[in-house]
Amino acid sequence: MSETSVFRAEAPANAAGTRKVLVWDAPVRVFHWLLVACFAGAYITAESERWRLVHVTLGYTMGGLVAFRVLWGLAGTRYARFSNFVRGPAAVARYLRSIVRGEPEHHTGHNPAGALAILALLGLAVAITASGWATFNDVGGKWLEEFHEVAANLMLAVVGAHIAGAVVSSWLHRENLIGAMIDGRKQVRPEEGVRSAWRTVAALMLVVVLGFWWMQWQAAPAGGAASDRPVAAAKAKNHDRGHD
Amino acid sequence: MNQSTITRCVAALLLGGAVLATGAQAVAPAEILAGYSAQAGAPPSPARGQQLFNTRHGGEWSCASCHGAAPTQAGKHASTGKAIGALAPAFNAERFTDLARTDKWFRRNCNDVMGRECTYAEKADVLSWLLALKP
Repeated sequence: MSETSVFRAEAPANAAGTRKVLVWDAPVRVFHWLLVACFAGAYITAESERWRLVHVTLGYTMGGLVAFRVLWGLAGTRYARFSNFVRGPAAVARYLRSIVRGEPEHHTGHNPAGALAILALLGLAVAITASGWATFNDVGGKWLEEFHEVAANLMLAVVGAHIAGAVVSSWLHRENLIGAMIDGRKQVRPEEGVRSAWRTVAALMLVVVLGFWWMQWQAAPAGGAASDRPVAAAKAKNHDRGHD
Repeated sequence: MNQSTITRCVAALLLGGAVLATGAQAVAPAEILAGYSAQAGAPPSPARGQQLFNTRHGGEWSCASCHGAAPTQAGKHASTGKAIGALAPAFNAERFTDLARTDKWFRRNCNDVMGRECTYAEKADVLSWLLALKP
């Protein structure tokens, strides 16, 4: 990276008349971090039958979160809307070329390459949730189970690309994108900010998600992740057979 | 991103899944058993297999916790309560006909029951017992 490009990358942050303003509303941020937790948790618990209900619950939560995000992409605040960040291949190519040139285009919301990762993540999350539901409920065949696993690994790869992209553009643009996804704020011109954080909607999301988890916990055959009852039953069965 | 690009991505994903799913050719359970025995370097023992299947190896579960002590009929998942199809091939023609799938589920289930993967000898023992179960 040349001296010139450093200067240009820093320019937006240093430009007169900018200050820290709200760019990501609360539902976008709560969605983002809940999705992170659900995908990571479901991925980690995928292999074990002991954690099967946790895996399934996190997967269904992921599906619900994505359904919400699609609606919020139509009705949310400025930078949450698909119309703000979904761009054609030409815009993606232009953005990537601007990076290669060392003069990265600045986008207050998602940049066109990041938008591509977001669409891929949303699409994969839908495919994974649907195939996971079908597998868990014995609808469809073995191929759906394979598809579920392939899609989940593909999503992990896109997550990797998304994280790499966020780190690289944070560095290129001299702005902390990870921090912005936490507090919602970026150093831009005040008129570029969004007016409301919609905290009530975010709080409602949290209530629905936690409520769903609580319901799943209550509905679990053994009263939760602990497998006391089935084990006790198995124990009794073994005992009957004089097996212990 | 325009619609045709999305359509193409979805098609590629579906195609990839389909290729992966049909890529595995069906084999006979006996062939899988022969492979495990060869890797183990010793003939399998159905009695040892039955013992392994019904024992809790210091953990909470045995294989029988989900598959039932008589895996000639449907079992019941120990944490989800879902029905699990019979495991013995004579009672369920789908079982042990795909090596990759067999390996995957041995890996997962042995980890759940024994806290480690099963050896080839252990897998051969269990499979030889399951194959010995006849109507």
